[in-house]
Parts: sequence; C-alpha cells; structure tokens
Amino acid sequence: MPINIEEKDGVKVCYAEGDIDINSSPQVKKVFDKVVQAKSGKVLINMKGVGYIDSSGLATFVEVLKNFRAYGGKLKLCNLSSKVKSLFEITKLEKLFDISDTEEEAIKAF
Amino acid sequence: MEEKEVIIEVKDIYKKFGNRQILSGVNLKVYKGETMVIMGGSGCGKSTLLRHMVGTVKPDSGSVYMRGQNMAELDENGLDALRKKFGILFQSGALFDSLTVKENLCMALREHAKLDENIISIMVKMKLELVGLRGFEALMPSQLSGGMKKRVGLARAIAMDPEIVFYDEPTTGLDPIMAGVIDKLILDLSKKLSITSVAVTHDMNSVFRIADRIAMLHEGRILQVGTQEEIKNTTNPMVKQFIEGQPEGPVNFFMSKEDYLEELIK
Repeated sequence: MPINIEEKDGVKVCYAEGDIDINSSPQVKKVFDKVVQAKSGKVLINMKGVGYIDSSGLATFVEVLKNFRAYGGKLKLCNLSSKVKSLFEITKLEKLFDISDTEEEAIKAF
Repeated sequence: MEEKEVIIEVKDIYKKFGNRQILSGVNLKVYKGETMVIMGGSGCGKSTLLRHMVGTVKPDSGSVYMRGQNMAELDENGLDALRKKFGILFQSGALFDSLTVKENLCMALREHAKLDENIISIMVKMKLELVGLRGFEALMPSQLSGGMKKRVGLARAIAMDPEIVFYDEPTTGLDPIMAGVIDKLILDLSKKLSITSVAVTHDMNSVFRIADRIAMLHEGRILQVGTQEEIKNTTNPMVKQFIEGQPEGPVNFFMSKEDYLEELIK
C-alpha cells in the first residue's frame, strides 16, 4: 500500500493507492502513526486511488482520526469513489469524518 | 443480456452416510450478490449440502466450485484462504460460552490478521452496531436471549468482511418477531454489503422474506429452482405440498403399515 505525501498550501496531502484491506491496513496505520508523531496540523487523505476499503481499513481510519484529535490536528478525506463512500455511509462513519469531493475543495476548507 | 457471475457451483454431488444415500446428484449454481435459499424438510440433505459448500464434507462423487476453484483440489492452505472469504451463521449461533461477546468476535480477527487491539475493538463495535447490539460487548452468551445469540453469531460471521455468508437454519427456535428481525438483518447486510447469501431453512415465512431464488431439495435431489414467484406458482406437486404445509400428498412422511409390521417381526 504505497502512500505518497506532498505538501500543498500548508496541508500534508496523502495519496493512498490500492485496496485498504486486512492485509494492507497495518501498513496504512504505520504511515499515519508517523504523521501523528510529527504532529502534522493539517492532513488530507486523497482516496482517488482506493477502489475498496474493508472494515479493518475503516477502523484504522477511525483510530488515526482519534490520534489526530488527541493533539488538535485536523484530518480530512477527499475523492472517495461511490463504492468507498457507501461503505463509510453503511457504517455511519461519513458523519465522523470531514469528507470533500475534491482535493481543492478540501484544502480550501482547512 | 448481462451474464451473471457464478460464485458457487455444485456439480452432480452424491453423498452417502453409511448405507443412507443423502445427496443423489445435486446441481446448483449461486450467483454473485443473490440470496439463495435451499428449502426442504428435515433430513432432506440440505444441511449436508451446505456442509459440502463450506468444505467440511467431501462428496463421494461430483464437485463444488467456489469462485471457480474446485474445493476438493485445494490443500489446507488453499481452503484456509478460501474460508477467509466466507462467514457462517450456525444454527445454534455456536458462540464460545466461556468468552464474552467481544471476545467471540475478536477470535476470528486475531486469528486471521495482524491488527492492533485498538483497531480490533473499533471493528467489533462497528459489527455489533450493524446487528443492533453495540454496548453488549462485555456480556457472556449465557446472559443473552436466543435472538441476541443469533445476532452475535451474525456479527461474527461478517467480522472478516466475507463475500459469501452461509446461514444454517437462521430463524429456527426464534419467536416470530425475532425471526423477522434476523431475516431483515440478512436482507439488509446482503444488500448493503453486497454479500452473496446461501441459507438453508424450512421456515416458509423466512424463505419468502429473504430469497432471491429458492431451491427445493427433497430426498437428496433438487426438485425445482426458481424465483419466489416461480416457486409460489409451481406445478410440481411435491414443491406445492411443501410450501403449503400439507400433511397428505406425493411426499410420504410415513412408511407403510406393512413395512412397520415386517420390521417388528424381523
């Protein structure tokens, strides 16, 4: 699960690629643990390259969000495919996360 | 016309237990995303058919293909990998009595994946929310009603995000309201999570609530496969007798008097 990170307008934009499932979510957790350790203030996860996320991936995102909130960091998501978005909706997580349609919209809203 | 994807294919299965022929040439296809209900009377072979589909029983002849793989040709590792793709709701719920609700759900997650305990705890809450039992994590199975046990069993069956869920008599032993609740959950989860479902049951209310297609099994053979409408309007007298619950008809539930008397003086 490669995640490239770029700095844009003071926001760390993380580009996730591939499926986030029970095999890859521990790697996702490791990447974001480092981002949390660096106490990054504004972080956006661009999900354009993610075709599927299972419940271990969703739970990993919840844990990451908890860790961000613990030090006052802000985490947003953008570019969710309709399938991934529906998985957030079924588990009611779309109300927990700040989700934008596009990267530009999300960066502007920080 | 769009070609439906076959996810399970049962090809000409025969199975004997001792001298008793249980399955006699069963053929069945289950399509991706559908809810297939296998119905039939007690002892007709439907649970045996289900056990063939999940790979716990091997046929004397014939094959079961899951996602294109012949289950009989898989080694233990291959079967394990395949089993991660499906969940089973057992008739009794099959919870571990000495473990809490949470621990019952955690077992599969700990066994099959290297996830942090924090992540596992969040997943357990998400699964229990889906079956309406969040907040019951610390209870023991003995503190739950039959319907709650079934719901915990269902949460456990979907713990690993399976593509297929098998249900063995999901509503047996439940009151009508709880049976309706379980059926609604099966429907909701199938549609929301795009799960393929295979249920065996003789509960006709349940059959007509959840099935996309129905297969009627009798004496080890499939008599008819069809949609709810096709089964309701069946011209097969045995299927008709079963769905109407008629004691008299082409299906013989009792051996003849002569057999009984011969049996006594043997």
